[in-house]
Amino acid sequence: MYLKLNSYFLEPDSNVVIELFNGTFDRSDNVIDRDRMIDASVVVNGEKMAIDTANWFERETTTYLNFKTRSPGTYVSGVSTKPRSIGMSAEDFNDYLEHDGVLDMLAFREENGTLADTAIERYSKHVKTIFQVGDKLTEAYKTELGYPIEFIPLENPYDLHPGQNLSVKLLFNQQPLANQLVYIGSQTITVEHTHDGHTHTHNDETGHIHDELRQFRTDANGLLEAPITSEGVWYLRTIHLVEINEVGLTHESNWATLTFGVSGGHSDEREHAEGLPDYIYVIISLLLIAVLFWFFNRNK
Amino acid sequence: MSIKKSILSLALFISPILANAHDVSGVDRLLLENGNLLTYIWVGAKHMLTGYDHLLFLVGVIFFLIEFKQIVKFITAFTLGHSITLITATYLEVSVNEYLIDAIIGLSVFYKGFENLGLFQKYLKISPPHLLNMVFIFGLIHGLGLSARLQSFTADQEGIFLKILSFNLGVELGQVLALVPIVYLINLWRKRNSFGAFFKAANTYLLIAGIALATYQIWQFLGHS
Repeated sequence: MYLKLNSYFLEPDSNVVIELFNGTFDRSDNVIDRDRMIDASVVVNGEKMAIDTANWFERETTTYLNFKTRSPGTYVSGVSTKPRSIGMSAEDFNDYLEHDGVLDMLAFREENGTLADTAIERYSKHVKTIFQVGDKLTEAYKTELGYPIEFIPLENPYDLHPGQNLSVKLLFNQQPLANQLVYIGSQTITVEHTHDGHTHTHNDETGHIHDELRQFRTDANGLLEAPITSEGVWYLRTIHLVEINEVGLTHESNWATLTFGVSGGHSDEREHAEGLPDYIYVIISLLLIAVLFWFFNRNK
Repeated sequence: MSIKKSILSLALFISPILANAHDVSGVDRLLLENGNLLTYIWVGAKHMLTGYDHLLFLVGVIFFLIEFKQIVKFITAFTLGHSITLITATYLEVSVNEYLIDAIIGLSVFYKGFENLGLFQKYLKISPPHLLNMVFIFGLIHGLGLSARLQSFTADQEGIFLKILSFNLGVELGQVLALVPIVYLINLWRKRNSFGAFFKAANTYLLIAGIALATYQIWQFLGHS
């Protein structure tokens, strides 16, 4: 489940439609029932506002949340859903673990010989998006919405340029979640091609769109550094799934996503320069000194 | 392409690494939020070790210094200068524009290369200002840059004075750790015939790097103002 905007850079006092995708980042499979939403809110400049349910509407498979921006600043919006349960055959459960990248649980089942076990999973989803209104960068990006699981950026994503890292903390029940698999994806317009195992697609009708998905793991403090390689829309997603010992249930999962936009805001030449890793510049500097040394040594 | 144009192009190309010299990651910020005074020492030392612009200026300063006593004297002047502004500006919460301060720090790197290469006499027909005074003044400016950085990741004012002192101690430790191998290498090379060429190459690089840093920071300032 993801919160998405057509543009993550908005003007004050403008109408915004936040899309709630229930499915993948690219496709919403179905709408979320209104009574499932425990929280749907927007935070800016220290003020948390509930999104008026009268301004929600559903169309086909997507839920839309209407909202009007106020003063300039960095906004965070979140939606948290009530838990639901689903029963799955062993095969379906294993397929889901593999397809959604819950690889630790899949490995656990393989190691313990439980691949043939059916599952009844209680799941809930908690999603956030961060967007920028006007030019003024404010502190709302690091707001903890108090969801069972949530990503908290440690710096404002709208203060980032391509080539920099975004430090993110992952909390589970308000505590850092260590060693958790996190997938970082992006949808960017770029001229670069990498073929090191990333998935990517090209859409010639809309230019040159590059979809990328990479796998990371939080450290012992629940932290990870997300490399922001280019401008575009970025997202983080994770599924924390554990076995539980409750009547009628075998597993419990909490899903979290975070979406935000990254703007280059500068010329192509400069973007290319910022995309290069630091060590390239160190090497260039050393080479430059070496060339200068050769030049002066030859002409002494 | 003329030599001047070549130098300007190189300066613009290497500017991002120099600008990144002051990057303080969110991880550092979190460490400081949750850490003790030792954490401030650690982050101060790390900041200095990766603060290429401070180190480039110091490299320029120590090029002319041969005796250990001289090195200690000049580094002390720099340390005194940056400690004064780091401590007072942070404690009094005096905020300066980071881009402008970093641009001036870039110009201090350029200045040192310009002076070392004897370009004051060659092009301006004047003697350069007294080096010890200039090192102290530039120390004050570098301290403002360090203060701006410390203020950007220290929100909690509780025990702020000890935090500033710890960060400053870390900066000094990082400075010593970085300078020991640099001084050793320069002095080792000083005995070789090729030292003259190395001296010119390194100081020409300081000119380029100084222009690069100042240009990049001014550009950033204009983009954020």
